[in-house]
Amino acid sequence: MNNFTTIKTGWNKGTSLTLVLALGLTLAGCGTNSNSTAKEASPSANNSVTNTQAADQKLVVYSAGPEGLANKIIEGYEAQTGVKVEMFQGTTGKILARMEAEKSNPVVDVVILASLPSAQGLKNDGLTLPYPEAKNADKLNPDWSDKEGNYFSSSASALGIAYNTKLVTTPPTSWEDLTKPEYKGQINIPDPSLSGSALDFITGYLSDKGESGWSLFEQFNNNDVAVAGANQEALDPVITGAKSMVAGAVDYMTYKAKAKGEPVDIVYPKEGTVISPRPAAIMKSTQHEENAKSFIDYLLSDEAQKLVSNAALLPGRTDIKAENRANLDEIPLLKADWVWMNENGADVTDKFTKLFK
Amino acid sequence: MRHIRAWSIALALLVLTIMIVVPLVEIFIQSVYRDGELQLAAPFRTLADAEILKVLLGSIWLGICVIAGTTVLALPLAWIMVNTRLARWRWLDIVFLIPFMTPPYIGSMGWILFMQKNGYLEQLVPGLASVTPSFFTFGGMVTIMSLHLFPFLYLLLRGALERIGGSLEEAGAVLGAPFTYRFRRIIAPLLLSAYGMGAMLIFVKTIAEFGTPVTFGKRIGYEVMTSEIHKYISSWPIDFGKATSLASVLLTACLLIWYAQSVLSRRFTYSLVGGKGIRRSSLHSQGRGTWIYVIFVAVVLLLSIGVPYFSIIAASTMKLRGVGLAWNNLTLEYYKELLTWGSTSMRSLMNSVLLSLAASTIAVILGTWFAIVIGRSRTRMERTTDLFSLLPNTVPGIVMVVGLILLWNSPWMPIPLYNTYGMVILTYVILFVPYTVQYVKSDFGQIDPSLFQAGQVFGGKPHYVFRRVLLPLIVPGMMAGWMMTFTIASRELVGSLLILPPSVQTSATYIFAQFEQGQVSLGMAMAVVSVGLTTVMLVIIESLGSKRKWNA
Repeated sequence: MNNFTTIKTGWNKGTSLTLVLALGLTLAGCGTNSNSTAKEASPSANNSVTNTQAADQKLVVYSAGPEGLANKIIEGYEAQTGVKVEMFQGTTGKILARMEAEKSNPVVDVVILASLPSAQGLKNDGLTLPYPEAKNADKLNPDWSDKEGNYFSSSASALGIAYNTKLVTTPPTSWEDLTKPEYKGQINIPDPSLSGSALDFITGYLSDKGESGWSLFEQFNNNDVAVAGANQEALDPVITGAKSMVAGAVDYMTYKAKAKGEPVDIVYPKEGTVISPRPAAIMKSTQHEENAKSFIDYLLSDEAQKLVSNAALLPGRTDIKAENRANLDEIPLLKADWVWMNENGADVTDKFTKLFK
Repeated sequence: MRHIRAWSIALALLVLTIMIVVPLVEIFIQSVYRDGELQLAAPFRTLADAEILKVLLGSIWLGICVIAGTTVLALPLAWIMVNTRLARWRWLDIVFLIPFMTPPYIGSMGWILFMQKNGYLEQLVPGLASVTPSFFTFGGMVTIMSLHLFPFLYLLLRGALERIGGSLEEAGAVLGAPFTYRFRRIIAPLLLSAYGMGAMLIFVKTIAEFGTPVTFGKRIGYEVMTSEIHKYISSWPIDFGKATSLASVLLTACLLIWYAQSVLSRRFTYSLVGGKGIRRSSLHSQGRGTWIYVIFVAVVLLLSIGVPYFSIIAASTMKLRGVGLAWNNLTLEYYKELLTWGSTSMRSLMNSVLLSLAASTIAVILGTWFAIVIGRSRTRMERTTDLFSLLPNTVPGIVMVVGLILLWNSPWMPIPLYNTYGMVILTYVILFVPYTVQYVKSDFGQIDPSLFQAGQVFGGKPHYVFRRVLLPLIVPGMMAGWMMTFTIASRELVGSLLILPPSVQTSATYIFAQFEQGQVSLGMAMAVVSVGLTTVMLVIIESLGSKRKWNA
């Protein structure tokens, strides 16, 4: 027993050597994979080494959904300019988290978010690069975009009441209708801490109604309205018939499901609703400034705005009409005060979350 | 010779420090630096909130209940699969892994779709409409999570039971001890170390779990720490400081549990694998009662796989989800779309397979090395290695990943790994290396040192003893670690969402994106395909391995 340690170290020598050797080999494998690509270049196989030096042919875009639209816009832009776009797709929250994590060494050039207050936040933190000369920027809806050219809302969605047409035969016409006892426990509302547009709806409603606006949400709570994840998670139970309605539903998702044939539709309450613009911004840290600018130009071009309209979103330019959906002038609006909304977003989320706990 | 072992420990500690500790320290720095100044009190202020305390207790209670739930499922199952005739059905082991392969949020979605109002159960049996609401309670959440996590405990317990072998129990039986006595005085003490480790890991997995709380927990209003952390990390305004403060609370809770477990297992670790071969006991092999075991296994499989997969497959083959279960609503369109060669979905699937193959192989090599260095965690160095190698399992994945990004994307980092496939592999390795360490450690801890001495006495050179004595004995643990890592890596979501280079997707992020886009059917179809693919790969590897497997 007294020479146990010797024996132990004996085979440990062998073990360590074997394992260290194997580790070294595998790490070397990783190394060759990554060393060939420049710091900011991504390795996605086909575009690694050649195009970083010569003409600047690269752009990194972080885009909020819908994915189909984002892909089409990237395709259109690549075809027009020959620039290769790397895209990260996610919700506004995911994109912001990724940017925060990468803060010390940013990768992204252009962001497209689904929430205006977030873009205002980026601007206030001095993270955006103004581009006031953007083509067609003068045709954008001035309420949704920055005068100094820090962000451009190339598209927008409106918030309404989505309902299951099999379960709801006479759709509600006002937000107050949702507090009726017949809908008790039948309604979802997206979580404002996860969905930027739900937050826009709640803050927009409050900025119009003032403090008394909270009574609507208190009644929602009394009527067992459920706070249910982000937008799609709130809508999904309505499609399958587990719930009847979504308050503050993003309209383009509902239009898309309806176009597919699902038993859903959307109404905009008569006292008005909120539009949730989807801003795009160039980051100050961009290493591909020219491409980023031409990307913004493309977003605001007739071609891209057509793609927006085809995806059942509201085009950001006032001179382009939406086709298979309600246009801006057909949607009754609340007087949303975006400055107030941006300043009070966090408090409202907090109060709302506590109310529905 | 001694200094070689010392070097090995030092090197292991260095690797672990760079891989795991530094990113966590980065996180900690974030939590005390608020607005550019040092505020050491910041994390504690977050904790003073009574709400947070309630959420923390909620997390812990959930963890305890899930330990109970998984024990009820895994302990009888492990016993049945070692001691009865069902043990011959080795393929069941891979089937039991399926619940664990299923991404947790998919499994929960399956249960929700099945149980909800107008859900599949009500469509099949309308009479049960009055019962289903009772599923949407805390009990339902514990059930779902237990059914998801039990394979993990099962694998550990089965391994331990196999090593106990039959002779000890037979000795008890010969001396006239009834079954309950034998269980209490022979099996239970011998199992305790493996069970303690398994229970701790289940606890940690539960309180660090994100998928079920965010789908099912949200629905019943049960809040846990991870959903709070996630809130600060993924919605504006992003507050890593708050998130990391909360994460450090979770970390502390997990470390306390880890400490209790390691004390326990040091007291109750026995040398079970000695020179004598292990022989199965014939005590339980009689045919009588087999049908009870078969029924138990069938019920477990029905609940853990049958129900969720019924929902998942049904949802993936529906033309219109608003129509529900109907033959004329059946379509295979989504699978066709998914499996078109060269499509985004196919590329994501390939990415998943290749990344998890690479990650699990590296993780097993590293993990085995760490486990051997840890040995029986007698010295402080060994225990530190043990602790470090376990850290990734005690921190919520998202926190670990943020730490990794902070480190590898910092301007002074000379190795350009960030935004490459290498970074993804590194992340998976770090997140999942604890599994191999646990499995190999639990194998290794029970090997009697006399085996190595015997090898030495008969003139075996160190590498020969390693190859012919140690390696065969720990290969089962390495295999289990490899399979586990491969399985989890191929469905990893939270880390992948943040760390994948732009334009790269894995099957998990693809599924998640489909849910976000409202293409639930397509997402469900992808879940079926990727779990199917993982299962096939495991079957192939298992059948290759079993030919050469060491069987005493």
